[in-house]
Amino acid sequence: MISLIGVPNIDFIGLRKYAFMLSTVLVLLGIFAFVMITLGKAPLGIDFAGGVMIKGHFAQPVSIDALRSGLTAEFADATVTELTDFSMPNAFIIKSKRPENEATGDLRIKAINGIIEKNFAGNQFTTVSEHSIGPSVGESLKKSAWLAILLSIAGILVYIWFRFDFRAGVAAAIATFHDVLAVAGVFYLLGLEFDLLIVSALLTLAGYSLTDTVVVYDRIRENTKRYRSKADFVPTVNRSINETLSRTINTSMTVMVVVLTLFLFGGEVLRNFSLALIMGVIVGTYSSIFVASPIIVEWEARNPRRFK
Amino acid sequence: MSQKWRIGLTAVMVIVALLAFWNTFKLWTLNEADKKGMEDREPGSVLRLQQKAIRLGLDLQGGIHVVLRVKLEELEPAQRDGAVDRAIQVVRNRIDGLGVAEPVIQKEGTDRIIVDLPGYTDKERAQELIGQTALLQFKMVANMETANLYLPKVDSAVVAYRKARGEMPVSTTPTASNATDTASKASNDVMAELMGKTNDTSKTKSDSAKMFEYDEAGTGSDTEPFSSRLSLFLSSNNNTQFPGWYVNKKDQPLIDQWLNLPQVKALIPQDLQFSWSTRSLVRDGAEKYELYLLKRKVEFLGKFLEGIRLHTQGGAGGLAVGFKLSGEPSGRFAQLTGANIDKPLAIVLDDRVESSPIIRSKIRGEGQIEMGGSATFDDARNMEIVLKAGALPAPVEIIERNVVGATLGSDSIKKGFYSSMIGLLLVLAYIAFYYRVSGLIADIGLLFNVFFLMAILAGLGATLTMPGIAGIILTMGISVDSNILIFERIREELRTGKTVRAAIDAGYHRAFVTIFDSHITTLITAVALFLLGSGPIKGFAITLFWGVTISLYTAYIITKAIFDFRKQYETLSV
Repeated sequence: MISLIGVPNIDFIGLRKYAFMLSTVLVLLGIFAFVMITLGKAPLGIDFAGGVMIKGHFAQPVSIDALRSGLTAEFADATVTELTDFSMPNAFIIKSKRPENEATGDLRIKAINGIIEKNFAGNQFTTVSEHSIGPSVGESLKKSAWLAILLSIAGILVYIWFRFDFRAGVAAAIATFHDVLAVAGVFYLLGLEFDLLIVSALLTLAGYSLTDTVVVYDRIRENTKRYRSKADFVPTVNRSINETLSRTINTSMTVMVVVLTLFLFGGEVLRNFSLALIMGVIVGTYSSIFVASPIIVEWEARNPRRFK
Repeated sequence: MSQKWRIGLTAVMVIVALLAFWNTFKLWTLNEADKKGMEDREPGSVLRLQQKAIRLGLDLQGGIHVVLRVKLEELEPAQRDGAVDRAIQVVRNRIDGLGVAEPVIQKEGTDRIIVDLPGYTDKERAQELIGQTALLQFKMVANMETANLYLPKVDSAVVAYRKARGEMPVSTTPTASNATDTASKASNDVMAELMGKTNDTSKTKSDSAKMFEYDEAGTGSDTEPFSSRLSLFLSSNNNTQFPGWYVNKKDQPLIDQWLNLPQVKALIPQDLQFSWSTRSLVRDGAEKYELYLLKRKVEFLGKFLEGIRLHTQGGAGGLAVGFKLSGEPSGRFAQLTGANIDKPLAIVLDDRVESSPIIRSKIRGEGQIEMGGSATFDDARNMEIVLKAGALPAPVEIIERNVVGATLGSDSIKKGFYSSMIGLLLVLAYIAFYYRVSGLIADIGLLFNVFFLMAILAGLGATLTMPGIAGIILTMGISVDSNILIFERIREELRTGKTVRAAIDAGYHRAFVTIFDSHITTLITAVALFLLGSGPIKGFAITLFWGVTISLYTAYIITKAIFDFRKQYETLSV
């Protein structure tokens, strides 16, 4: 039998002060990021902001700076990134956001192609994909993204409330919010774009982190029944976390293995998506131990009522 | 559940899954040479296989995705009703002629239309086809004498063209064309008739018409490559023939190519035009298009029609589409129909012929198109929508367009395939390393999980996208959680000194509540993601949902069945 951990006896609850400090910082960062998103100041993907994206490759090598400066002269917000893992060399992604109206997208693509043709005459640029999204699509997509976020939070809250109690529901929801905010905050810090795939990743990690929390809560409930004395609540929670620790780590490992694979080999489309999930696995594991359970402990200390 | 049941149920599921996944498996294991061989033996067989297999999203196979908005604000409030449906019909009509294998055209929200053209990357043509407002025109069909004048000329031009390209033997002895004089009885009761509302509505079935014999092999003759591929079908009640021909679907691209040759175009006078029908239909057991020789002059415009309404008439329940005309255009229509009784009038939507009803009477103010005996309700409904689309054209604008080249698609497929393989192997190895024999059993469960997931995707006719592949990979990591929870429980039970048998039972039993609770939360987010709506994300949500659901089955039925065999042992490798 290989036991990475066996049944350890770590005082996780005792560490909650440090955890709360770290979590407060992460949550504030996340709230800041969401405020910036609502104000339209965070970088949004073209699916939310509207805009055009062109992927293509040159026949001969070009300098990314030359390509970028030529484009930003015309479209100030144009961004250029090199597509390193495409099957052809000298491949780039060009983006330009926030078209004035629905018809601009097509004109902008033509304009960008024109600039490239002019600046790199004799160096054939082959487009492999182009995407143009009008502002109205972005607006409605934003709406449905918020709707999906609210819907999943409400669904989760109701389910946890139904299966445990109100307190556990709130605590689990806080832990889940914490994870989503933390990852969104780090994303904002890194200057990465928020697009539809990132929203999906945030929702997925919400579900995942909640799974972790539920496993611990289930064990707390079971252990509370077994060791009835109320004075024992903190040790019971600690015991529950320790007993489920081996499972928590193993599941985190298998999920981490697959999201790392996605990050490394899944290609450019899934890069930020899998990055968000990697962070989600880390934060989700952390929060089910250091956030979800300590909240229950604190609540219990202020307003004693047996966990059920 | 007893052991017998578990094994039986799993056996049934494996068989069902194999059936569901079989076509996909066949398709994915074919290489290019195999596909070519299949196509040679039986044309269209690869396409049919594709239609039965898991579909690939545009991001994986390349193609065009367009979102249209119907500009309802530019229509009168009374005209807004059904405007999106009319626009959809127009788009569908245009796309049907494009030869895209599996186009998707669907309504989204109140004013949007999503058009997916997998495998099609000619963005200019697609834009032109999809983004334009419908134009419905009425044109007269040319007469047979005119057609007979130009058909031989087209034939000789095509012969010369083919000789120049070395497509046919240079010297051919003129053989009697198999495509003349053979009379055959044609039941053209599908043909619509156009008549004034007040007139006698009894239907006279068209008599037999002389037709060219249809060339089954689809090869045509060498001397008359063009005309031998056409077979006349259009005739009026007094047996006068008109230049409307059936063309075998197989021959359609070829004929179309010839008609577009500059040297052929030069032969046809400016006031005439060849036009295809919008849709193909099945006649004498083969799929055919209709080709018409029309007078180019626009006799009447669809926008003057009003009060278009589908109704049944007569005792037999025949279908007809009624319409009205008022004001000045009414007089012109009366004049047009009065002067052309017993001649076909072509209803042309966007340069394609929708129908060619025979004019039965002078139509003043109010008329109807009778659909003919074998027309289905859908045919009539289509006619109604077409007329309405022309009468009340719905202006559209393109609000999103995504063009994915085939290279990018195949690049993504490769990445998706390799990362799923790597992810799968790593998870299998990790679990086997950590839980030993039990880990191998969990691995078997995981493999079943992936297999069932693919089968469900195939069975649901789901579309596989790059995020969908990410969902499959993520599911591999998440779905072993059930087994991990069970194994950890069994370990705990063993530690308390329980026997193997008792530990397995207790482990499975105690883990259940936790597994159930924790999986539901993932399912809730998967449902929310599905409702988020956009195509690729839907693919992700579907795979996540089913992957997690199946993992409950594999853990409690499949791996449990194997574990029950291990209860007899003294020790357990877990």
